[in-house]
Amino acid sequence: MEIKHTAIAGTLESSDIQIMLSQGTNGIEINLESDVIKQFGDQIKQVITDVIKDYGIDNAKVKAVDKGALDCVIKARTITAVQRSIDATEPNWEVL
Amino acid sequence: MNDIVELNLSDPIIFKQWQEFLISLNINDFSANEVDKIDQTIGIFEGERLVATGSIAGNILKYIAVCNKGRESGTYFNTIISDLTMRLAQQNIFHLFVFTKPEYVESFKHVGFQAIAVSKQGAILESGDYLIQDYLNSIVKFSDNQSIAGIVMNANPFTLGHRYLIETAAKENDQVYVFVVNTDASLFSTSERTQLIEAGTADLDNVTVVNGSDYMVSFATFPAYFIKSQAEIVTYQTTLDALIFKNWIAKTLHIQTRYLGSEPHSETTNIYNQVLKDVLEPEVKVKIVDRKKVDQQIISARDVRENIRDNHLEKLSQLVPQSTINFISSNLSNLQQRIQKGMNIDGN
Repeated sequence: MEIKHTAIAGTLESSDIQIMLSQGTNGIEINLESDVIKQFGDQIKQVITDVIKDYGIDNAKVKAVDKGALDCVIKARTITAVQRSIDATEPNWEVL
Repeated sequence: MNDIVELNLSDPIIFKQWQEFLISLNINDFSANEVDKIDQTIGIFEGERLVATGSIAGNILKYIAVCNKGRESGTYFNTIISDLTMRLAQQNIFHLFVFTKPEYVESFKHVGFQAIAVSKQGAILESGDYLIQDYLNSIVKFSDNQSIAGIVMNANPFTLGHRYLIETAAKENDQVYVFVVNTDASLFSTSERTQLIEAGTADLDNVTVVNGSDYMVSFATFPAYFIKSQAEIVTYQTTLDALIFKNWIAKTLHIQTRYLGSEPHSETTNIYNQVLKDVLEPEVKVKIVDRKKVDQQIISARDVRENIRDNHLEKLSQLVPQSTINFISSNLSNLQQRIQKGMNIDGN
């Protein structure tokens, strides 16, 4: 699966995360901004990477601005960003 | 949570409230060339009182102001930035810029922006799906054991004067980058100007013409609404412009010398050249080349534009190369129409 265009999901409100997804050429590259990057940076990146891989996307640039989101929120926001970036209307139930 | 509302600044009552709020936070410039460019403004109210606002102009966020009295700091700020980002995303704009005071750089970094130039007077930050690193990655690079020069030009249109400047740099260096200012406020569009520079330097093997993208815009277009004195504005804009060139462009592309044309008639350009020298040196040498003259007259692109307006094509052969003449003759009516429609041909 290929990303068709840049898409964004989520907000910068407390407990949320803003995910911007765009076309990449070099695997899944994640640029993360978070106050808890030391404690949870790897975990956040893992959740994002898993969702993107589940969609069969191999190359993507991700810009994530975390405001203390829980994993379920990170997952939900990433799914929405992916759906928007591939112009999907139906959720991919297998990913969910 | 208080709702975000759109502020209609053409309503004088709303405008006044918005303006008073910004003034209370030390933003004082409401000149038409700043305010007229605003596409959308949003605000947050507590009761009747405006407590946060932000605006969009193209891909630029401006007039961001937040009153944090009695709230956890950052809450409204994040809400405003988040909402403006979403609004731009709906227009398919993902690459954003902010021009702000240096003390707010940290707040913007916190919401995912990267600072690309910070001076005492102001800072430029960007965020999104395309950053200056991506721009630099897209440009062909030469090894740093060569002497490499850079020139930034608008070339509206390409004249024998531009040719002379490029030729001089090409003789004195192994490689020359020519960056084309990417602002479509000129009589000739960016793609036309690029095309004419390429055509006019096709015989010079060591010249590479590059679009300046968002990083070499006309320096006068930087928003300056938070700078207090008019006199400081040119210095502020030029300093940021020069810092981007030094810290990103020259550093990545190994440019050791920046070439400029002397500007005996324009005070603004003189300040510009001086600031450029102050900021770029010693890391990047600045070489000011005397402008080429024809019959004691400096060749100026403005004269070319005036000759186009006045239909004096016979005068062009002294001023521009054949490639530019060819383009002008085959697009003459189109260019004259643009002037008639009000395209400003003074200025740069």
